[in-house]
Amino acid sequence: MSNLLTIKDLHASVEEKNIIKGLNLEVKPGEVHAIMGPNGAGKSTMGYVLSGRDGYSVESGSVTLDGEDLLDMETEERARAGLFLAFQYPVEIPGVSNLEFLKAAVDAQREARGEEAVTSAEFLKEAKAACKQVNLPVSFLKRGVNEGFSGGEKKRNELMQMLLLKPKLCILDETDSGLDIDALQVVAEGVNSQRSADRSFIVVTHYQRLLDYIKPDFVHVLSDGKIVKSGDASLAHELEAQGYAWLQTEPAEDELEG
Amino acid sequence: MSEWLESAIARGQDNQDWLAPKRAQALDALANTQWPTRKTEAWRYTPLKAVERSSAKALDSVSDLTPVAIPNVSAIELVFVNGQFDALQSTKALPTGLTVQLGQDLSADQQAEALRSFSNIKPERHLFGLVNDALAKDVLLVTVAEGIEIAEPLRISSLLSAGAESHTRVLVRLEKGAQLAVIEDVQSQGDSLSTAFVEYDVAAEASLEHYRFALQTGSNLTIGGSHFQLSDKSKMHSTIVGFGSELSRLDTDIIHAGEFADAKLNAMYLLDGKELFDLHATVEHAMPNGTTEENVRGIVADRARAVFNGRIHIHRDAQKTLAELNNRNLLMSNKAEINTKPELEIYADDVRCAHGATIAEIDKQALYYLETRGISKSKAQVMLNFGFINELIDLMPNEALAEWVRPIIRERFAQMEVK
Repeated sequence: MSNLLTIKDLHASVEEKNIIKGLNLEVKPGEVHAIMGPNGAGKSTMGYVLSGRDGYSVESGSVTLDGEDLLDMETEERARAGLFLAFQYPVEIPGVSNLEFLKAAVDAQREARGEEAVTSAEFLKEAKAACKQVNLPVSFLKRGVNEGFSGGEKKRNELMQMLLLKPKLCILDETDSGLDIDALQVVAEGVNSQRSADRSFIVVTHYQRLLDYIKPDFVHVLSDGKIVKSGDASLAHELEAQGYAWLQTEPAEDELEG
Repeated sequence: MSEWLESAIARGQDNQDWLAPKRAQALDALANTQWPTRKTEAWRYTPLKAVERSSAKALDSVSDLTPVAIPNVSAIELVFVNGQFDALQSTKALPTGLTVQLGQDLSADQQAEALRSFSNIKPERHLFGLVNDALAKDVLLVTVAEGIEIAEPLRISSLLSAGAESHTRVLVRLEKGAQLAVIEDVQSQGDSLSTAFVEYDVAAEASLEHYRFALQTGSNLTIGGSHFQLSDKSKMHSTIVGFGSELSRLDTDIIHAGEFADAKLNAMYLLDGKELFDLHATVEHAMPNGTTEENVRGIVADRARAVFNGRIHIHRDAQKTLAELNNRNLLMSNKAEINTKPELEIYADDVRCAHGATIAEIDKQALYYLETRGISKSKAQVMLNFGFINELIDLMPNEALAEWVRPIIRERFAQMEVK
């Protein structure tokens, strides 16, 4: 089976500071990969680089999504190609209603795929169903995007967008941060309901807790901008027991070579 | 002094017609005027180099220019082409109670009366207003008779060929209780220089709806003024839409010369590239119990520059005045510039007068967030920031006109880049 996502020797910087330093990752359709690692390892940066955020520049390496050069696309084109980034800190946008935002996103993506636009009535029905699935009151559709939402509500709103946009690859950036256990379960159930043979996930998390609910196929440890260790779900438990302190004592590859 | 102004004065001296006494006054004033520099307060942020460099010149009227059609708006058309009144393109069958006359066609008595009104409302301090006094040839006089309501809007279009210079002047009088909507518009083919001034005498209980579109971009130099005098219990509602160009300058004056007059002014500007738009709005509350509400909002992109000077002068006798002035701006680039200056002068003690100015930057984080959902940058920008402009479009009393101008403004905004 061919890869959905292939990251090869990716180097990227923010404000001229190298953060991603030789990242390699392959994700096949339907797989769930967890990326764990200490603060400052570059976990969030990876999501921003893949989504094409301004100010995050790729120095070298390549990324393909479904065989297409992802790095060559604008942010909105990456989304239309099937990439979805669930933010750690979703942005509040007063003045733009959640419904208007969701419809604009779905319309843009359908249009890019050459599909017919859904009518407002049809869309409202779908959006209400998605609300229900993530346990958000329907009244949230009328509110400004994330405006005044609690941390948990914001994460559920991210999930709702995922349900409506039906991406091929979802990157969940510390979706568990700031969530209590109930909210965590709702989010995890939402994600699990979307797992399928043609949808892959990269679950970025600092803690193993989320992985009790979203079972990963692979777990990678990201440290200083590259993956230093990979394994199956049991690696997450090891990390939980050991913490990340061992990373400092184990010399990194390039240091060994040098 | 500038060569351009010297040439304008020389040309003005040739205009020996019924307006000769007023033209002479204007020429005297111009001869004693310093050509503005950065030190001239009224032109501090608006250099006039482009005027000095301009090669625009007076051209003959040509017939191949026609006013742009506005869907669902059937207007009474008054058309100037290259500064000359075009009777053929102007509406001939006027509704009862509306008269439109060229100054030179009036009887001697009427001319004597018109002479008294000319430059009676427009303050003398406007440099290009004086130029217009001296150079506007076909002066139009528009009158709505007492108590008459004109249903269709009156559109005054000034059309310019490429490279043309034109000076147009209209005096509008609404007699007691009359109602009229006026649309002022300049449309040019490029490299033009125009001064377009209109004076509005709004008698007691009359009501004026006013629109001014300054949508000339690029190398067009668009200078003008709309000057209003309000009498007892009269009303005005003005909407101004400005795009920038090498030089786009508009002066408005609202004079509360009667009690219980009500003025609303909503202005919006959207600037891109290296464009400049300068709005100087002055409100004189000379009489008690007047109200003024002024909302000025702008979006400035790239290296464009907006200038807004909002002066409200409440005279000593103007007790119980309510005046509000609000200026909101959105900067799309860190090289864009906004110079906003409220000037309040209050000499009465029982008034309410508020002002505020804000400048915000585009929320790049929100823009990125929308883009990560597949929404294009231009659409995202419109979603995020068009609202505060849209609010003013919503306030336009003429819905059909609002529906015409809304997509034009939206399109312009969508093309502006965040830098």
